[in-house]
Amino acid sequence: MTNEVKMKDLTGANSSPKKRKIASLDRRKARSGWLFVLPFLIGFAIIYLPMIWDSITLSFNKIHIIQGGGYWLEFVGFENYSKALFVDPNFVQTLVTGLQNLAFDIPAILIFSLFMAVLLNQKMAGRALFRAIFFIPVILSTGIMETIEASDILGTYMEGTSGIDDGSGSSAAAEIVSAVDVEFLFQNMKVGTELTQYVVQMVNNIYNIVNRSGVQMLIFLSGLQSISPAIYESCRIDGATAWETFWKITFPMISPMILVNAVYTVIDSFTTNSNVVMSYIKTVYSETDGQVVSSAMSWMYFLIIAVIVGLIVAICSAFVFYSRKND
Amino acid sequence: MNASEEMKAPRVKRESKNRIRVDFDRTPLKERLKAKFLNLNFILKIVIFIFRLVFLIGISYVVLFPFITKIAGSFMSSQDFVDVTVRLIPKNFTLDIYRAIFTELGYWNAFINTMFLAGSTALIQVFICCMIGYGFAKFKFKGRGIIFILVMVTMIVPHQTLQLSMFMNFRYFDLFGILRLLGGDGIKVGVDEAGEAVKILTGLNLAPHHISDSGALVYDGLWSNTGLNLTNTYWPMLLLSLTGLGFKNGLYIFLLRQFYRSIPDELEESAYLDGSGTFHTFLTVILPLSIPMMITVFLFSFSWQWTDEFYTGLFFTSSKTKLITDIVSIPESLKIEYAGTQLYYTAIRNACGITIIMPLVVLYAFLQNFIVEGIEHSGLTAD
Repeated sequence: MTNEVKMKDLTGANSSPKKRKIASLDRRKARSGWLFVLPFLIGFAIIYLPMIWDSITLSFNKIHIIQGGGYWLEFVGFENYSKALFVDPNFVQTLVTGLQNLAFDIPAILIFSLFMAVLLNQKMAGRALFRAIFFIPVILSTGIMETIEASDILGTYMEGTSGIDDGSGSSAAAEIVSAVDVEFLFQNMKVGTELTQYVVQMVNNIYNIVNRSGVQMLIFLSGLQSISPAIYESCRIDGATAWETFWKITFPMISPMILVNAVYTVIDSFTTNSNVVMSYIKTVYSETDGQVVSSAMSWMYFLIIAVIVGLIVAICSAFVFYSRKND
Repeated sequence: MNASEEMKAPRVKRESKNRIRVDFDRTPLKERLKAKFLNLNFILKIVIFIFRLVFLIGISYVVLFPFITKIAGSFMSSQDFVDVTVRLIPKNFTLDIYRAIFTELGYWNAFINTMFLAGSTALIQVFICCMIGYGFAKFKFKGRGIIFILVMVTMIVPHQTLQLSMFMNFRYFDLFGILRLLGGDGIKVGVDEAGEAVKILTGLNLAPHHISDSGALVYDGLWSNTGLNLTNTYWPMLLLSLTGLGFKNGLYIFLLRQFYRSIPDELEESAYLDGSGTFHTFLTVILPLSIPMMITVFLFSFSWQWTDEFYTGLFFTSSKTKLITDIVSIPESLKIEYAGTQLYYTAIRNACGITIIMPLVVLYAFLQNFIVEGIEHSGLTAD
């Protein structure tokens, strides 16, 4: 045996098969990696990519339907895009409103879901019940229920204390917090009116926020669970208060989750059916010649989402703390 | 030594060789309670407890109130909506709305159809997403990062963007024009002449067909020259699920990838040493480990598919296949015109919504503890 090994070592030609064998093991693992993601790759190549390509080409074309089935396309260049941007009176405005809503929603949802996750992570009576209740909207308030919800005048009717419809639009009781009260409260605290407005809006919008922070809560909860209890214990021994522990331990440890949730919130609130831009695109889709214009619109919309997601990732990554770096 | 100190000190008396008796005066109950309950720490705890409870109950109320109003409204009779004194509790309790929904709107038919669709897509999605997530988590291969970005892209692209091309793609389904190249006119047969297999497939909404110009039902063969018409069948949803492109599959892949990353490599390595192949290891070692996580993903996938109206609205153009989202309408027997019509119709639509989510509520009641516990023990991290 020793002889053989020496022989192999001496001749350069024989050392290469040994190396190749190691390489082939790696390659075999890499190959099974490819095998596992193969369903996605196939689908992406033969279903998704053609769809994207079609959609992009359609946004540069005009569709002419042939009587008796079939259609042909006429290339019109950027006409659909300019139509969306300059001819359509509502698109740009809707887009701006959508972005404004987003700027409001993201911090609200993130803060709320982190707060709730920390709260639901504590040991207390009835924790399982509260958790079950808070995840109800994730399961039940999607799709068709969102549509039903949107036209639900019964809810406000039952909540109100006045008659059927007093014509005022919204009843005073429906607004949980009256803006005046909170403003009065905050004036003594010397914080800006913008912040006051924000808090008031957030509280009045609480149903919407609770509804949309289910998945985020779940991700935060799992993040909190993965923080080692030993760290908290040593903090307690050193005499840190709960407040200090939150900012010095919990917050840095959970910061990667904040990034994930920020990205998820952006994507989720951008692509949900109740988003103003999405519903506008949906109405345009059903108009004559609207299909191509709506795909032009949604491609512009997609670019904006991509840029915003990129920005958030870039900004957040600077602040995110990773306890261990693997890979 | 004064008297009080003497009194507090325990008196030890030896009764026998192995027994002693200790006499001491207990601190009075009042003093003890005072010490226990009247310090800052305890008061703070109580205050925090009350605040937390009030807050949680408040938010729970916010979450549950829409459902309460929906349920309350669904039991009201039409008179209750013009009666100003009726708010949450119905005066004339009636089951008319539910009776009409179950008898007139074809609820059970829709229920079975959707059960088949949502069940099959959810099962496929769970398995496929597990596979893809595992591939991303545990194998290092060239282009992994890029492919993962592609997964994220499928999540970011709004599905309205692909609405038209998705419909076109599945209306004239063709793999790179291969089917068209092979040519053929499709099997032009009527319903009666079709074989048993086609009949079964039609029953399951899996037979591609279209209505020809003359109005006859034509089944598309595999060699149809216009491509297969997959609309009004379950194929588009199944194909999208099989390739991990279904609704929100990007999220599932991400969650499962993070989960599999937390499983120690040693587990698989020992399986490999025992001579198990990668796929075999995945099936026998990894999948059983991830059951709580799979249940979570299944619950999401099933309920989102159940209430989805975008894909079903896009792919089911004819009214022949009734799905659960189609039942939201006003039953004929309940159509009336009076002052409270608007509210009454809203209540009926809400009742439809209640019947739609009822199966999900049952499912959620059984699986809800998995949803948190499954993720909780996953050690999900975001790096």
